[in-house]
Amino acid sequence: MKNKLRNFIFEELIFVADPKQFSDEDNLLEAGLDSMGIMRLIMFIEDNYGITLPDTEIDPDNVQTLHALEQWILKHKNI
Amino acid sequence: MNHSKQDILEVLNIADNFTLAMDEEIRQDGLAGSLCGYALELNQTPDINLLQQRINKFSQQFPVALSSLQQRGKRFYWCKREKDPELFFQHSCSENQTDQFFQKETINQLINDKHNREDLLPIEFHLIKSSTQCCFFIRWIHPFCDARGVDLILKYLCTEDTSPFEQKTGKPLVNQQLDKYSWWEKFTLLVKGKRYIQSIDKLTSIQAFKNDQPPQQLNYSIFKLTPAQTEQVSQLARKKVGLTGTSLYYIACLMRALDKLNPEHEGDAYCSPYAFNLRKQRALTPLIANHVCALFAQAPRKIVQDRDKLFDHLKQQNIQVIRQQLDYAFLPLMWAGSYLSLDKYGKILRLSSKQKERSSFWFSDVGKLNIPSHSFLGAEITSIFHLCQVTTPPGLAFLCCIYQNQLTLSYNFVEPLTSSVQIEKLHKLVLAELLEEA
Repeated sequence: MKNKLRNFIFEELIFVADPKQFSDEDNLLEAGLDSMGIMRLIMFIEDNYGITLPDTEIDPDNVQTLHALEQWILKHKNI
Repeated sequence: MNHSKQDILEVLNIADNFTLAMDEEIRQDGLAGSLCGYALELNQTPDINLLQQRINKFSQQFPVALSSLQQRGKRFYWCKREKDPELFFQHSCSENQTDQFFQKETINQLINDKHNREDLLPIEFHLIKSSTQCCFFIRWIHPFCDARGVDLILKYLCTEDTSPFEQKTGKPLVNQQLDKYSWWEKFTLLVKGKRYIQSIDKLTSIQAFKNDQPPQQLNYSIFKLTPAQTEQVSQLARKKVGLTGTSLYYIACLMRALDKLNPEHEGDAYCSPYAFNLRKQRALTPLIANHVCALFAQAPRKIVQDRDKLFDHLKQQNIQVIRQQLDYAFLPLMWAGSYLSLDKYGKILRLSSKQKERSSFWFSDVGKLNIPSHSFLGAEITSIFHLCQVTTPPGLAFLCCIYQNQLTLSYNFVEPLTSSVQIEKLHKLVLAELLEEA
């Protein structure tokens, strides 16, 4: 799952010189993930994992790292 | 015919045509066209020889910077000039002028400089010097590049190793995005886009200022918030509109301030177009050309008058637009529009089906600028602001950026529709809204 998210983020949303050096705990918001990018990422997740992420949960804690994103998705996949 | 093709350097892309149509509209108002500015206020004069060298290197690497915008048949092209022009200019304050007045007056002249489109340089670099102040001012014509592009050009000028800025990115990003769709998907998007515009047009946009006098010139007022105020605004923006649309906070506050300033103005809703960038965040290429698509923020007056409802409305509108892919729906419309005459395209972009101006104001949020303050060729950057020409109506463009933890608000307004006195009143209202003191 993380690889799929990683590919989408670095191919479509954020430029980093070497994506392999970007760890699962590095901060996506500090790396440039902006409001438009967050919405696109949510759309990508919903389309690919068949879940709906509630607008009320669009929070820095859920989107700031790849690890946090994965946890957020898993929480809704398991419901 | 052969000659006219030999000197062509680049054809304008779909998004360049979009901004060119606005250039034509602004020119038809009797103003200077779609000129934009990016000003760096410096603590001292930078290394002028090095600056000249970097500008020369930039123009060699990107020869479109030296070109002339010309129409050949129905299309527009960047064409080579017979002789390469100078792009770097210096202005020095004479003894009988005050430093502050000199900088403002020089920038005012540059942003209102009227030229034929063919004669105008795509980009110019100006160093405005006085005994106590120095300002590096980049002026460009919008079809040449967008605001993010100028930010990259500035970084290019500040950097010795420019190789990361020179990587080829292939087709313009608008075309790359369009190429992702089949013809059927493009058609569906086109229909979606048209319906989106029709839904916006159901409400007549409120005009910020009475358009009862011929436009004469663009003027601007810059207001800088303190770092503490900026932090307060950022926290409030996060609280009110969340992560999905920080720019919407600024738009909402301006809508409310305009309504308080002119509660009697006719119309149903405030409506603002805003561009979003197709470059990846933090990407260092492409520098040249426009890589943007457009969206609208619209709120009926009744909602504008209720602060919390307004934030929620704009937030939900933005979420729905992206969920329904209406953000990209403007791309096929821009593609189709690029085949129209500038006059026809400009009118379609600006006017609703009732032939009323669609925009209550223009808006741009450049966001946080990550240029190190000490990086400008031996000088320290103390502040940054942006400028842009705007059509009349609406006669107001509101531009925001954050540099060194300071939010800078740039009000660009057309005189005599409004005045700097009126803009100061407006800013007081905007500030109160931004800081939640209203």
